[in-house]
Amino acid sequence: MGRVMAEDAFEAVVGAHHAEIRRYLLRITARASDADDLSQETFLRAFRAYRALPAGANVRAWLFTIATNLGRNHFRGQSRRRRAYAAVAMEMPMGAPERADGRVIAEEARARIEQVVNGLPEKQRLAFIMRKLHELDYPEIGTSLRCSEESARAHVFQALRKIRRGLDGHLPAGTDSQS
Amino acid sequence: MSKPPPSCRAIEPHLLAVAIGEAGPAAVERVEGHVAGCRPCREELGHYRAVDGMVHTLRRAPLPGDDATLARAQLAARLADVRSRMVGFGIFPSPLGPVLIGRSEQGVALVQYLPAMRSLPAHVRRLLGEDAVEDRAATEGLRADLMEYLEGRRARLDWALDLRRVRSEFQRRVLEATAALPYGAVTSYAGIAARIGAPSAVRPVAQALRWNPLPIVIPCHRVIGSTGALTGYAGKHVDLKQRLLAVEGVRTVASHHDFKVRREAMYTLMNGEREYCLPTCGSLMSQPLSTLTLFGARERAEAAGFAPCTTCRPDLHPLSA
Repeated sequence: MGRVMAEDAFEAVVGAHHAEIRRYLLRITARASDADDLSQETFLRAFRAYRALPAGANVRAWLFTIATNLGRNHFRGQSRRRRAYAAVAMEMPMGAPERADGRVIAEEARARIEQVVNGLPEKQRLAFIMRKLHELDYPEIGTSLRCSEESARAHVFQALRKIRRGLDGHLPAGTDSQS
Repeated sequence: MSKPPPSCRAIEPHLLAVAIGEAGPAAVERVEGHVAGCRPCREELGHYRAVDGMVHTLRRAPLPGDDATLARAQLAARLADVRSRMVGFGIFPSPLGPVLIGRSEQGVALVQYLPAMRSLPAHVRRLLGEDAVEDRAATEGLRADLMEYLEGRRARLDWALDLRRVRSEFQRRVLEATAALPYGAVTSYAGIAARIGAPSAVRPVAQALRWNPLPIVIPCHRVIGSTGALTGYAGKHVDLKQRLLAVEGVRTVASHHDFKVRREAMYTLMNGEREYCLPTCGSLMSQPLSTLTLFGARERAEAAGFAPCTTCRPDLHPLSA
């Protein structure tokens, strides 16, 4: 029956993007249960608005925008976020005793990156995750964060600078082969 | 740590862009030129490249809790639920004023007379909730059926119905009994109460019909007061009730701010009988309306499967119009 039934196309949207959107929400909320809830909410909202989406729109970027809005609302109570990270940090083995093993060093560097990322201001953190972990373009990130493309880029660069500082002493020395 | 020289500070954003592969050719050339003669910046470029490499590894690393199976299954169930509640509606002009028809996957869910008001979208949203979308194509066939009905060219609306807006089991019984009233027939609220086995529930019956989600389709206009007065319809639109009954051949007379069905002008069926009579047959005039069904025309009574009474012979002595 007309357009109400034409929503079958939405099944394909769910199939193509749900896993990634949930992964994004898992990264920003750090809790599987929150990622479950918010990913469902993202797609329920998308379903209701899908018919109004112009043909040829970037559905993936649009879903990231919805997920980002839900994620940010979710964090309006900052204390909730801190509690979530505290809980995760408890489970994370920090400071591996054996430094000889390259894998251990890489694990430690990774943990440090995550720690720095989790401590970033919200927009920098979201911009970094969208750009570097989900490879969205800056205009799309700008749309999601309601800022300009330039601001989105500045957020990502700022995040990278902080990560780089956070990794001082963990970066391979002597990358300069010409000296 | 001393502050880096201005040329190094100026090159830093480009250095970062080059390290993560986001620089244009001009910036790449500029950075290459700078780092060739600047060891700290050369090292910094290396560091940023290393950071980018680690971030790249992070992107590919398995993520604890990255199992979407449960969320996906729950989403499928919730989407199915939303989908089944979704109503596509159309708003059409009709001889009775603007009418909204809404249908879901299950069938026609809502028929409403709309006030000619400015805030129509808000009114529709209140009526239907957020899961409603204008869908004229899906309701066009229904509109055509309804127009035929209102013009007297169709006696039935054989639509699949979605009765999920029915508020209670009691209301469902009332609506079912009302839906069973034949075209061109009327009975009283007390008559419906008697039919559902709740003879004292006359006011609840009237309330249940007041909230009929499917007027016209479920013909609550065929239920009138025990005195024959039409009593009420769609708020204060008893005139619509009169017009719907007129289409079906039920004549009324205006009386104060209402209309009245005159029993002496109606063919009369004692409930449970198979034969319809003249209103004066036997003791019919003294029976309460709740025990009777009245027809405006013999043809309607016969179309509903009733035969003329062999005593009073309404077929030989028709009521004068």
